[in-house]
Amino acid sequence: MSQKISLRQAEHKVFRTAFNHGLWDVFIGSIVLQFAIAPLLSSSLGDFWSSAVFLPFWALVFVVICLVRKYIVTPRIGFVKFGQSRKIRLAKFTAVMLVVNLVVFIIGIFFALNYNVTSGWIHTALFGFAVLVMSSIAAYFLNFTRLFIYGLLFLLSLLVGEWLYVNFKISHHGFPITFGITAGIIIITGLVLFFRLIREYPIPIKESISEEKIG
Amino acid sequence: MTNQQTEQVKLNLLANIDQIIHTPARLMVLTYLYVVESADYVFLMRLTGLTWGNLFTHLTKLEDAGYITIEKTFKGKKPYTIIHLSDQGRNAFREYKKSMKQVLDDLPD
Repeated sequence: MSQKISLRQAEHKVFRTAFNHGLWDVFIGSIVLQFAIAPLLSSSLGDFWSSAVFLPFWALVFVVICLVRKYIVTPRIGFVKFGQSRKIRLAKFTAVMLVVNLVVFIIGIFFALNYNVTSGWIHTALFGFAVLVMSSIAAYFLNFTRLFIYGLLFLLSLLVGEWLYVNFKISHHGFPITFGITAGIIIITGLVLFFRLIREYPIPIKESISEEKIG
Repeated sequence: MTNQQTEQVKLNLLANIDQIIHTPARLMVLTYLYVVESADYVFLMRLTGLTWGNLFTHLTKLEDAGYITIEKTFKGKKPYTIIHLSDQGRNAFREYKKSMKQVLDDLPD
């Protein structure tokens, strides 16, 4: 049994080492940032374009992350191809997420059709819980525990934003403030992890010598 | 089989433990390679905490035993080394795990 546990731990360690560079945190933070900025843009650009304008921004962030990963992270932490068990786990994750998304989509349509009979609070809470459930599932399957915290922060941003709006009439449901803080926390976490990795793992200077020996 | 004979068989198991694997550094390398498809030199070095030279020595021993395969390619102009656990290495690791379990499980607390 102890052998099984240590092998599992080894697998988790491999996965964490490969993904603990903080770049995905920055990407998630940039997505959350949309919820802070889009409400401010909606008066001038309209609801659709205030969100759509973020697509090229995310694409740019994604490309930058891929390049940083290739040229800065991989030379420092190396590269790994995961084994069969991890691939099966990822396939299970994809299947579970498809089902959850479908359920959330159906619930979303139901509430959209019955918009007048339900309050904004229920919509907000349901959306927040859906994000929390999805982020928790992802955290479990990907061994990326921070995703659970980010899901929780997302839910809190929605609820606190609504609370600020109801009690203090803060504009745009308080989302620019709450989501701005959440996006800031997530992006800063990612940047801290990234710069810590850069500091702790310099590019190995003996690489060429040792690799020549192996050849 | 008498108790004495059983005890002897177990002690023989301990004596026959694979010495190539039964070294902390090599055991660590094989454990990580066991759970992945392949890893490059830098990744193994980061995971195990071994130095370049130390890792090189252990990898050479494992390669000589046929437990791993070292694939040498180029990434641009830089040499790039990928390490796989061979089928023989996978079987040897399983066997080692089984033997150690058998021996250790019967030890008194």
